[in-house]
Amino acid sequence: MAEVAQQPDWDSLSKEQLDAMERKIAAKYMGHFPLGIVLWGFTNTAVWLALWPLVLTGIMPLWLAFPIALFNVTAAYLPSHDAQHSIIAREGQRLRWLNELLGHVSLIPFAAPFRYLRHTHFEHHAHANNPALDPDYDVHAENRFEFFRQSLMRMQPGDEEGQQAYPAALKRIGKEHLVLEALAVRGVYLLVLFAAAWSGYAIEAALLWWVPILLSQVYIRYYLSWKPHHPGQDTGRYQDTSAFRSTLGNLGSSGMQYHIVHHLYPRIPLMQTPAAYRELRPILERQGCDLGKL
Amino acid sequence: MSEKFIKLLFAPLTFALAFLAPLFAQILDALALSFPIASNLTLAFVVAGAWGLMAQLRGSWIWLK
Repeated sequence: MAEVAQQPDWDSLSKEQLDAMERKIAAKYMGHFPLGIVLWGFTNTAVWLALWPLVLTGIMPLWLAFPIALFNVTAAYLPSHDAQHSIIAREGQRLRWLNELLGHVSLIPFAAPFRYLRHTHFEHHAHANNPALDPDYDVHAENRFEFFRQSLMRMQPGDEEGQQAYPAALKRIGKEHLVLEALAVRGVYLLVLFAAAWSGYAIEAALLWWVPILLSQVYIRYYLSWKPHHPGQDTGRYQDTSAFRSTLGNLGSSGMQYHIVHHLYPRIPLMQTPAAYRELRPILERQGCDLGKL
Repeated sequence: MSEKFIKLLFAPLTFALAFLAPLFAQILDALALSFPIASNLTLAFVVAGAWGLMAQLRGSWIWLK
């Protein structure tokens, strides 16, 4: 009863009052040290690295290691995503080194370059759903089937449009040198695959790294990019991202049901977005957001 | 020089010969399959090489573009 009495009469609030309440609520969820995502990032990479000696020495069978590797590779991106947004520590803060270390280390299973992803991701935030400026715009597809078809086509070596989106974004912001970092990371990944294959461990390398990366790329593009921005036609703070209810639940969709909170307040840690969403929901509804069935 | 090396490293044909060929050969070995016409590694090189060449020339591993 007391809780009901504390609820404001949302419809009587002006736009300015709604904005102020929104910022006040969001501020409560920012600035806390996200221990969970830090442990997640380092532990995930450690487990994935441990799979290699366990499999190569025959302690763990490959049929068991493969699903674990698939999980590790898929789970590798999100800790780095919090680090991309400097959620662990901002520049000049005492734990900045940890933020950057987490960003790099958590991406090892995904064989992806941290700073390359960080700066292209900032461009995605700045220009979400803008066909000319959003480097993730090519993920848009009119339906699920079309998304999977396009994902397959994007994996092809001749897909220059898809391959140029990130380098073009970096060139626009004067950070094209980060393309070299990307080439170095992917080059090392390929050389490790080649070396493992010619040492007699091609199947192991395929099932611990190559296949998990291929599958997780599709999953990540689906849940972190396509689904929360679908249909991808609207731009603007409250329109470029929507909430949705996933059939795989919040964990199965990597927390992306609440991606709208992340786009509104990128410095809210991933693990805090569900709670922030629940508190912000009445405001977001009145701000004209598409909240799906969530 | 370095540009040539990068192009070579990321070429589909390189991936086919350096990774897919030994992968196919080791899969055949693991399944205890062998063919009288050639060794598993030779066969794997032919299949992976042809596939990689297609990917290199067409820009697609699945023919469709």
